[in-house]
Amino acid sequence: MSAYRLTLRAPLAARADLSGINPATLAGLSAQAVAWLTLPYGNGAVPLGDLFEVSQVEGGALMISGDPRLDFVGAQMAEGEIEVDGPVGVLAGSGMIGGRLVIRGDAGDGLAAGLEGGRIEVAGSAGAGVGGALTGDRQGMKDGMVAVAGAVGPGLGARMRGGLVLVGGDAGPRAADGLIAGTLAVAGRLGAGAGRGMKRGTILVASAPEAPAPGFVSTGPHDFVMLALLARRVPELAGLFGDRLGGRAERLVGNRLAGGAGEILVLQ
Amino acid sequence: MTEAPMIINGVEIRDSFAEAFPMAGTRLIITADTQRWAHTAAASLTGFATSVIGCGCEAAIERQLDPDETPDGRPGYAVLIFAMSLKDLKKVVPLRAGQCVLTSPTSACYSGLEGGAAIALGRALRYFGDGHQIAKSIEGRRFWRIPVMEGEFVCDEVVGSTTAAVGGGNFLILARSRPAALAAAEVAVEAMGQVSGAIMPFPGGVVRSGSKVGAKYAGMIASTNDAYCPTLRGVSKSALPPEVESVLEIVIDGLSEQDVAASMQAGITAVCGLGAAAGVVAIDAGNYGGNLGPFHFKLRQLMAPVAGETTL
Repeated sequence: MSAYRLTLRAPLAARADLSGINPATLAGLSAQAVAWLTLPYGNGAVPLGDLFEVSQVEGGALMISGDPRLDFVGAQMAEGEIEVDGPVGVLAGSGMIGGRLVIRGDAGDGLAAGLEGGRIEVAGSAGAGVGGALTGDRQGMKDGMVAVAGAVGPGLGARMRGGLVLVGGDAGPRAADGLIAGTLAVAGRLGAGAGRGMKRGTILVASAPEAPAPGFVSTGPHDFVMLALLARRVPELAGLFGDRLGGRAERLVGNRLAGGAGEILVLQ
Repeated sequence: MTEAPMIINGVEIRDSFAEAFPMAGTRLIITADTQRWAHTAAASLTGFATSVIGCGCEAAIERQLDPDETPDGRPGYAVLIFAMSLKDLKKVVPLRAGQCVLTSPTSACYSGLEGGAAIALGRALRYFGDGHQIAKSIEGRRFWRIPVMEGEFVCDEVVGSTTAAVGGGNFLILARSRPAALAAAEVAVEAMGQVSGAIMPFPGGVVRSGSKVGAKYAGMIASTNDAYCPTLRGVSKSALPPEVESVLEIVIDGLSEQDVAASMQAGITAVCGLGAAAGVVAIDAGNYGGNLGPFHFKLRQLMAPVAGETTL
């Protein structure tokens, strides 16, 4: 099985929009046809071949060299695998329905916005609004899994409707803003103001949040069978917290000011 | 011309067959903090479930599970539940899980079967949470957390099912004495416990009161199988030779026809292992002439591979 490698000819001088470039859309196209595909670039458009050298490689994944100005990588992807060697710009994996997106670098704002399925793995850190809503949408990501090894910016999981986001580092301020359902797991510190307007869903944290949004009430520490179940079904989650995901956690319920019944589980 | 008798280790395998019926079935995984409490919940769930005739379903523990085999890493049991129709199964599973597992300390209840029609588990039990219940979708599966006085009850939203299940596989152990019949039945049940996908729903896996269809009394759909009652020899038309003093039956339900066949074979093989020296005279099976149930498990056909390896 062969796939394409898109190698940047030079660092991008303007923002490039890679939406619609994924293994499914490139399947059956010759290298020349791929090079002729038009990409929005800056305030105009250019053939893909002007920015990337197109070559065929063994394996099933579409390989792309990264650049912080490379936006919408893997956006709307439904199947297949994309591996990016380096950083990506904004809205990577946004609206993705299925497949796997691996980013060996940092990701910009809007990572996994409106995600509906599939897996996104980021080796570095990510910007604001991970798993949030696409512009004009009422709800954020609905399903799928996002794993960011490093830190994430403000607004993690805003209005998120489902799915799982794992953060290996710290999460910026105002995480889980208006969160409707789903699970956020943060191994580092949870920034101030988390859980404002939170309706349902779970935030799993390794240490007590310094300043969650007002409206959370502690129900005390408990042994949760659910955490053991999570640890076994999602090995990445067990990897994030180690033995601490054994089952005991303090449960903060909120946001009661918004009539919400979500929870922050602080692992003991 | 009559067929040559099949005798294994001095035990006659009669030229008979077990007549079995299609059923709907499912498997639940029940866990708890300790093996004892997992067993308590599983035993309670499968209690009073010997026969669909009077219990509405047939259920039993399939096998014990090690912690590394269960969804939450705790000790557990796999149980199988069978009913005459999918509609009946959809009624008994949430009913029994709600009354016997939800109520049992530290327990959790998971789906042990994928595919087929979805049977409501948490989807039905969640209302006990009175609005405080929490759904959690993990990697494509939805679970419910229901707050209870002891903590939280966790269960799957639904459990899969099969309508290819088979109920009513059986064989009869004809023995020289009551202790000999009981010892042989115990050995059979032990061996059959190793076969996955099948259960023996009667007490301890054994039936002492095999039945025939109908009775002299109106309204009785089943009554004692007088042809196999040793105390009625000479009174009713008996199927027992003079040396047989006691008969025990083992009834088998399985998730598939193959599971029932494998279980029957394992059980009869174990009984034959004891042999005539232990007081076992013959193996027979219960049927209704072959006109009621679509599945016929012919004893000699089942045991042919074993008989071929055994000295007569």
